[in-house]
Amino acid sequence: MKDNSMLDLERKIEKTIYKATLALDENNWSAWFELCDETFTYAITSFSPEINKKMTYFSGDKKELIGLMDMLPKHNTDHSPLHRHTSVYSIDISDDGKSATAVSSVTIYQNMLDGINSHLDSGESRLFVIGKYVDEFSIVNGVPRFTNRETKLDNRRLDKGSHWPL
Amino acid sequence: MDFESKADATVQDQCTAGMSKKIAVNPLDRDFIEEQAKIFRNAWVPVCHESELPEPYDFRTASIGNENIIICRAPDGKINALLNVCPHRGMLIERRPQGSFLEGQASGNPKRITCMFHAWQFDMRGNCVYVAREKEGYQERFSKDDAGLRRLRCIVNYGGFVWVNMNDQPVSMLEEWAGPALSAIEEQLNSVPLEVVHYHKEYVEHGYKAEALQFLNAEKDGAVFDYGHCTITRNEADVKKQNVSTDFPSPDSKATTKVHLFPGYVFDLSGPVLNVTVVTPVDTNRIMIEHRGLAPQGESKTDRDVRAKYYNLNHGPFRIPATGLQENSENNFLSEHYLDEWSMWMGTHPEGLQRITEKDSADKDSSLEANESITGPHVVVIGASHAGISLADRLRKHGFVGNISIFDKQVGGPMERPPLSKGFLLGGGESVESKSLLRQKKWYKANKVRLKTQSTVHKIDKDEKTITVNNGDVIKYDKLVIASGAVPKELPSSKGIGNAFVLRQPADANAIRQTANNSDSVVIIGGGYIGLEVASSLRKKGMEITVIEAGERILARVASKPLAEHLHKLHVDNGVTVITGVGVESVNQEDGIFHSVTLSDGRVIEGEMLITGIGVYPDSQLASDAGLETQFSNGGAILVNNEMQTSNEDIFAIGDVALRREQNIAVESVHNAQETAAIAAAAITGADSPNIQTPWFWSDQYDAKLQSVGIVPVQDDSVYQVERPGKRDGAVSFWSYRGDELVAVEVVNDPATYMEARQCLDTKRFPDPKQISKPSYSPVDSGGGRS
Repeated sequence: MKDNSMLDLERKIEKTIYKATLALDENNWSAWFELCDETFTYAITSFSPEINKKMTYFSGDKKELIGLMDMLPKHNTDHSPLHRHTSVYSIDISDDGKSATAVSSVTIYQNMLDGINSHLDSGESRLFVIGKYVDEFSIVNGVPRFTNRETKLDNRRLDKGSHWPL
Repeated sequence: MDFESKADATVQDQCTAGMSKKIAVNPLDRDFIEEQAKIFRNAWVPVCHESELPEPYDFRTASIGNENIIICRAPDGKINALLNVCPHRGMLIERRPQGSFLEGQASGNPKRITCMFHAWQFDMRGNCVYVAREKEGYQERFSKDDAGLRRLRCIVNYGGFVWVNMNDQPVSMLEEWAGPALSAIEEQLNSVPLEVVHYHKEYVEHGYKAEALQFLNAEKDGAVFDYGHCTITRNEADVKKQNVSTDFPSPDSKATTKVHLFPGYVFDLSGPVLNVTVVTPVDTNRIMIEHRGLAPQGESKTDRDVRAKYYNLNHGPFRIPATGLQENSENNFLSEHYLDEWSMWMGTHPEGLQRITEKDSADKDSSLEANESITGPHVVVIGASHAGISLADRLRKHGFVGNISIFDKQVGGPMERPPLSKGFLLGGGESVESKSLLRQKKWYKANKVRLKTQSTVHKIDKDEKTITVNNGDVIKYDKLVIASGAVPKELPSSKGIGNAFVLRQPADANAIRQTANNSDSVVIIGGGYIGLEVASSLRKKGMEITVIEAGERILARVASKPLAEHLHKLHVDNGVTVITGVGVESVNQEDGIFHSVTLSDGRVIEGEMLITGIGVYPDSQLASDAGLETQFSNGGAILVNNEMQTSNEDIFAIGDVALRREQNIAVESVHNAQETAAIAAAAITGADSPNIQTPWFWSDQYDAKLQSVGIVPVQDDSVYQVERPGKRDGAVSFWSYRGDELVAVEVVNDPATYMEARQCLDTKRFPDPKQISKPSYSPVDSGGGRS
């Protein structure tokens, strides 16, 4: 049976994942980065049964991600907001209590704003992608921070849309 | 109709109907359906890569033109493409995108393609190997040997891609269709075995043409090829400045080339990863684009990571979109080339008859043969040369309302030849192919001129007034014009050598350019204009050049001695080795690869490629076989009268293949082609004979622009030259006189003097030879000389 400190830590990790979801939904990158360790790395991957291979669609460390976010205002982009529905399925904390891994299911909807013809499309919500978050945390002084997130998509068909972390 | 044919017909109908439902094709959209039938079912499609089915019994499914197909690897490793539809009831057989038939399935035996509905089974070649209750159900009326999956044309090429054509008799073979365009990257694609390491697809809300035009209009320059293809290459000099490898598959490659294949496939080698996109139309206004990233098999994780990073930044689904405004949205020449091709496939272009299906084009040909669509006289032209095209143009300008058909043995639209030995060889994104078309395609439509390329005329029957074409068609004519041009002479010992070339046709120039891009030195045999222009062009690329001329000087047959000396010095000053007065004893090769020539004085000159430019001979065999009078008993130029009429009153000869009886030498030039075409057109239509201009000629070598007017009688010892300095640096002209009579003027970098010289010769106004060397003396205004 888990002791209270472990349950407390699990709750903190769960809460961190949900905070990250809210921050990402709001494009509040600084709030998201505050939840991440300096060594944080991020990747979007997918397994393609078409070619029988695991693929990395996007990757970067914290510095690269911050650079990307800073550049966002200078790029053409689809402004349709993404809405993530995250359910934390499992959390495994290491025996020494200094690190943890968590697996969550994520479903991301796109609430159309731009579309091809915003007159017709705006306001409609579409299923954008489905997949899992596989997160790794470091725990210092009882505070979990993301050290790695792998967004494992089931999608291989990826249409016009976001080009920032999901 | 046999069983298989019936089955196929049923399959076609059911499959089309089924697919139409599946992808929501609007049945009223005729354009979409027509495009599927006329274009996508006739084009070669790179459906997948061989690495996607690496083992025997592996398969991959795809669709082309609303048809489901399956690609299988047979036990012997060979890849086959089959219609993925059971011939029994027309049901879709395999539904997975990829997999293996090696193991048994819930409704399928191992090593068999099994239809889940009635368990008919097929092997990896599509042969039917099992029909349930075959004897009980069909008795002797049907055997499994009569069935089978419809096998499709399938070729693995160009980096291991699996190309499929739905048409059993493609309009052209893959190598002809895609080879010239892909030749720019073919060597790199085939340098190592590749595998697909990235795959994603996207749906885009516009048609495939819009996708292609968006891509092409974003490009500023490129080279266009037959069948609507083009290549876009970044400036290689810029790349070289970065001191990085340009060779794929190096992981630091800055390869520079993108190939766009009609109707919507891109081979993008502009980095260390090959990105291939394949467009599949879903409905009128929606396409699926498949993205494949390819890298060398078995490379290190480090190298693979470098490529993945590059790929994701530039081609991946999460790439950052382009910044700023879109490039020019107006159609450029690349997109016009694309649209021209589209209209040809759709049969809305006069050349479209060549691009529709084999059957359709045969129908069109037969109408030509039977003259059903031809009313009025029919002028048939053999050879889409400068002369042939000029003749058609002149006929229409004279008001000729009959039919004009041009038959040409070459592939593709007729092109200007002069640029082939000049800027074309420099390559590097020059768009000379398009700009050098003798006529844009819309000209043929506007002037109702039928152009039949890849059509070699085998026979002229002057009694029946017919020609026979290579496909067996017999075409009647009222007037026949032979404009077959000339054929470059080759040294017997250089024939069949891989890196030895002559230069006459665009294909020759393409081959030279490709080889030159990978060579450092060239030996050019022949110091005529072709040889010297090629030397100049290739020297600009930094190649080491040796020109060998057997005569005592270069340009011995066509230019004055002072001009030849001027150009000789120009070449030497630019670092070319020019050897004169020495013949070639032997062309030396090893295993079909040229490496040197041995000269008659024993010297051996090494080079990585050989170009022979020792003149041409008239392509008159056809005329000779037909009994037309030629220069010699065994051939030579076709002899014509002053109206370009041969010894047969209904047959004319023009351009390089013709020689007027009053002349003793043939003149090979654009001017001669145009002038003889004008004379023949006037004779055919009864129009007034054209004004005869003094012959002119031009050449570009390095920064020198040579223009000449008149023919220098190089064999006439009484002719002498006077040098006239130009007013600008490097400008000079050489005036050839016979006594006081001006006969020709050769001008270097002095267009104003050229115009004056031309005026003098056209009006037979002869400036004083004693004064002409003085820059202050005006040859036109001085009143000197006689007129």
